Amino acid sequence: MPSLLVILIFLPAAAAAMLLLLDAKAPPVRARWFALLATIATFLVSLGIASQFYSVQRTPPSVAGPVHPHLELKHTWMTLVAATEDKPAINLEFYLGLDGISLSMVLLTTLLTISAVLVSWTAISDRPAEFYASILILESGLIGVFCAFDVLLFYVFFEFTLIPLFFMVGIWGGPLRRYAAGKFFIYTFAGSVVTLLGLIWLSLETYQDSIVQGTPLSTPLSIPAIAAQLAAHGLPVETQIILFLMIAAGFMIKVPLFPFHTWLPLAHVEAPTAGSVLLAGVLLKLGSYGFLRLALPMLPKACEQVGVPLIGTLSVIGIVYGSFCALAQNDIKKLVAYSSVAHLGFCMLGLFSLQPEGINGGILQMINHGLSTGALFCIVGMFYERYHTRQLTELGGLASRMPLLAVAMVYTSFASIGLPGLNGFVGEVLSLMGMFKRDPILAIIGATGVVLGAWYLLGVLQKAFFGPLQEPPHHGHEPIPDLNAREMLALAPLLAMCLWLGLFPQPVLDLIRPDVESLTRLYGHTQASRVLTAAQSPVINTPATALASVAPETDQ
Amino acid sequence: MFDWLKPNDVLWLIPAAPLLACLWIVVVGHVVRRQYAHRPVVLAIAISAALSIHLLVNVVPTGFGKTVEHAEHGEHDEHAHVEPSHAISTNVFGDTQVNGKTEPNPWIRIGPVGNSTLLVLPTLRADAMSALMLVMVTSVSLLVAIFASGYMKGDPGYPRFFAAISAFVFSMCMLVLAGNFLLMFVFWEAVGLCSYLLIGFWFKKPSAAAAAKKAFVVNRIGDFGFLLAIFMIWSTFGTLDFDALFGSPRMIADVMRSQPEVFTTICFLLFIGAMGKSAQFPLHVWLPDAMEGPTPVSALIHAATMVTAGVYLVARCTPFFVHAPKAQMFVAGIGAITALVAAITALTQYDLKRVLAYSTVSQLGYMFMALGAAGAGTGLATLAVTFAMFHMFTHAFFKAVLFLSAGSVMHSMGDVIDMRQFSGLRKALPITHITFLAGALALAGFPLLSGFWSKDEILAIVMEASKNPEHGDFYKVILGIALLTSLMTAFYTFRAYFMTFWGSEKFPEEAGHHPHDAPPAMAIPLFLLGAAALVIGGITGPTHLYGDYLAHTPGLPEAHHHEPNMLMMAVSSVLAIAGIGLAYVCYVSSPGIARNLKNGMPFPHRFSQEGLMMDWFYLRFVVKPLRLIASISEFFDRWVIDVIVDCVGFVPGLFGAMLRPVHSGFVQHYAVVMLIGLVVCLVSVLRVLAGTL
Repeated sequence: MPSLLVILIFLPAAAAAMLLLLDAKAPPVRARWFALLATIATFLVSLGIASQFYSVQRTPPSVAGPVHPHLELKHTWMTLVAATEDKPAINLEFYLGLDGISLSMVLLTTLLTISAVLVSWTAISDRPAEFYASILILESGLIGVFCAFDVLLFYVFFEFTLIPLFFMVGIWGGPLRRYAAGKFFIYTFAGSVVTLLGLIWLSLETYQDSIVQGTPLSTPLSIPAIAAQLAAHGLPVETQIILFLMIAAGFMIKVPLFPFHTWLPLAHVEAPTAGSVLLAGVLLKLGSYGFLRLALPMLPKACEQVGVPLIGTLSVIGIVYGSFCALAQNDIKKLVAYSSVAHLGFCMLGLFSLQPEGINGGILQMINHGLSTGALFCIVGMFYERYHTRQLTELGGLASRMPLLAVAMVYTSFASIGLPGLNGFVGEVLSLMGMFKRDPILAIIGATGVVLGAWYLLGVLQKAFFGPLQEPPHHGHEPIPDLNAREMLALAPLLAMCLWLGLFPQPVLDLIRPDVESLTRLYGHTQASRVLTAAQSPVINTPATALASVAPETDQ
Repeated sequence: MFDWLKPNDVLWLIPAAPLLACLWIVVVGHVVRRQYAHRPVVLAIAISAALSIHLLVNVVPTGFGKTVEHAEHGEHDEHAHVEPSHAISTNVFGDTQVNGKTEPNPWIRIGPVGNSTLLVLPTLRADAMSALMLVMVTSVSLLVAIFASGYMKGDPGYPRFFAAISAFVFSMCMLVLAGNFLLMFVFWEAVGLCSYLLIGFWFKKPSAAAAAKKAFVVNRIGDFGFLLAIFMIWSTFGTLDFDALFGSPRMIADVMRSQPEVFTTICFLLFIGAMGKSAQFPLHVWLPDAMEGPTPVSALIHAATMVTAGVYLVARCTPFFVHAPKAQMFVAGIGAITALVAAITALTQYDLKRVLAYSTVSQLGYMFMALGAAGAGTGLATLAVTFAMFHMFTHAFFKAVLFLSAGSVMHSMGDVIDMRQFSGLRKALPITHITFLAGALALAGFPLLSGFWSKDEILAIVMEASKNPEHGDFYKVILGIALLTSLMTAFYTFRAYFMTFWGSEKFPEEAGHHPHDAPPAMAIPLFLLGAAALVIGGITGPTHLYGDYLAHTPGLPEAHHHEPNMLMMAVSSVLAIAGIGLAYVCYVSSPGIARNLKNGMPFPHRFSQEGLMMDWFYLRFVVKPLRLIASISEFFDRWVIDVIVDCVGFVPGLFGAMLRPVHSGFVQHYAVVMLIGLVVCLVSVLRVLAGTL
């Protein structure tokens, strides 16, 4: 019953369409509840898909290619060249699928969207139907990206996510919303156009190669097919490097890596809370997911030769520089935005360690950052709604006014800092551990982010939540209430997941293990436990031998 | 009697009890019966303490009785004196059956990839060393919790306090029981979190909020080193498990042969971790500020238990440290500097709790001196560990009683702790006076009391180390510092004692007219700890009870019995009595001397009072520059990177601007352009036609 995938992707979009068809004069309550039910339904569908996923017998990584969806749905979309006797047809496919990595990202998306709807409940009073429709459309697009296993489809969904967010920032945003929305859209779009060119070139090159090898690909745009072809016959290093740089262009902006990050703080500050939650929680992950899906499995040599030094260095700069920028902020939302730059730095550092620990850590970090930063943005939105300010200098001692909110903030801050027992720790440690094997210097510099992160986030706690109570003078006279039931419901699942993943990361690691394993088969584990390998196995698994071992029969 | 209690169950029950108490308070006790929130906590810690003693008896396979017996026979067979080392462990997550094989459920497992698997099990593991630590931690915690039930009475955050205390006891037990480096790091940070929450317990006080942040961030600097050490151990050995690492001398020897310098690096990094947690110079600055927390917290976390975690870490990693004499000398050097710096600072503090805090820092420095003494020869390693751990053990008791007595003073003086505002309290607070005196005598190293035995052993081993032909001079300097510090310790402890309890009777306004002494809930723990401060060292030290038990720890190299060093005993007794006498002269018999000294040397006085300007130095040369870098980064981000981005974004607009005049909006212009276009088209079409024709 793989059609659940289609339902999953288009359920939110259909709900959005129905929302837009609502009577414009209908009370906002109706739009809210409708959106909430739609997101919950989507979440339930995603849980259904998860259970379906677990019941499928998974292909062992030794047989599967570098990218291998365990659940798939293919429809021939266009037949470019009809089948002849000696040649199979060449098709463009509508190719959806799920592997462990995308399943975890889909679950993150559907969970965060519920919270995004809940935190907008009273914050959005202007044109609520359109707003919730945007959230739902965004959700469709995001799920689509994670489920797409076709280059073209991936790209379509990837770009499509920009549109609803553009409207969310541009219509319901802060004072600079138009500038922010425009910058966000144009900047990320400009980058991804280069990525598109790179992807087209990559597909053509692969297809040409496959013809030369005598085994033309029947679906030249399918990601698993391209990856398998490239694993058997890698492109020349120079081509790989150029392609890597082109593909990386869009993703580096999306992640965002230093120095392409400046759109992010602006977009966050101007976006409504729900927009920030989804932007930080899921949208940024599209960049790292893109690297994981398209760069790492397809261009192994470029990743090793250019990716590690380039992306590694930029990530480390991002960690340190992002932390310093966060330290200097007075606006809490901007501070959290800069902390995202630092956290995504850890994530990219892990992915580009190209070591199993690091890649696992990087993926965990993607999920963790989504949860903890999503929750942080929710909380920032909650007290912004109460005080209409986010300036650290105007707030103080909120813990004595709103103890529950303060508890949530302390908890989330520690999750974000990477306190063991909460989620951030495992991802950070594994990422750094992987990078330490690849390049200790980068890991050491990156690890300073652990100290800086504690500094700026605990600084927020100290100033805004502890100390004597200080409230902005112009907040009105009505007493400021603590968290209400709706807000607690918005936060509870995120905080619970933070604890759960911190205590029991192994289920997620088991979920993504086959995919990471089939990916890391492309890369040698050159430095894995130096002593033991030196003592026990004289053969060092270099990338070349690993590549050869993936497809020995075709390599004659 | 306890046959039904399997050792493996004891292991997880010890931390589970306080964890349950913590959860109970968070969920239920926070709302109902708030004023009785201490009960589940005290009960849980009592259970833990009882189980710890049970563990202490059972973790060594031969049983405790035999060890004692063996101590008596020690002189007869010196070479066969260490029993087979033993450790027990259990996996918290249990096992599962996979294809007929029993596999432990991991916390984190990655791989197997190639021939390496990153496998981190939530293993609890106990050996002699951890059992001794546990007994110390749980017994001091129990008494402090009882004390706190009286001390914290009426505080609006009463349940919150006890929830945090039980969370701390849980984390500390887990830290001690952790079976691998990563798990230890987890609880290393968790105790830091509890410390953060408890220092900032009165979060409305800005100084408490600032102190909490400072403690956590400074600790994080140490954790940074610890984390890197873990990465290094993992990439060198391919495992993080204590048993696998320390139980296989062959693996260590292999690494030693191929890359000996790796041990030095690992040990340096581990020690950086220890420096943060155990407040060693230059990362000691957080501990005096941590006194912003409630006094029971200072006694428990910032004197007796958490701050000794660094000592425990270094002692635990002895199998590594024995291969890194350079790192050990570094440990000894830092320990000596810390001991001296903290003692100098303690000389002039007026805040009673800060005197004790600096004294804690100083005593921790002592313990590291002892640990570092092993750098003079592998043969000293076990003795060094034994003496450091022993000093930690006695220190826990006498420092806890000192802090709690100080708390009792604070309690009756209306939360005033400045020694200039009260004096002559010995009549008003007789109980507190006696217990403080007991602790002070022990800390000063008065002959035959707890501190005397443990301090003497440290001096003895440093002296032993100074006989080393190669590094002897280095250790001679350390010995000199240790002796000097010993004198200063006696002096400042009794300065505080005399200023508080002697002289004319004076109360601050906040105390009201009739300050009352400790109520029973506070007095009983005070008496028990005071008694322990007096005798526990004498019971376990000279009889070798402690040392022989600790020798059962796996991984510790064999050591010979250590004979008491009579010279050092004499010298340290003289120093202790001299220090006490000096304090008496300066602060009781002729108080003018101290005043004249202070007025005569304003600069050294101020230098000492400000903690050698360390905070000033950090603010000036670390915090401010980093804040400046932060501002520069922010500026750079806004006015350089973003402006470049905007400029690039301006380029397409520029092209548009160049082409814009074409679209002027005048119909005539368009008509002209259209006409030209038409003509061009026409001409070209005609030419093509002409060509074909």
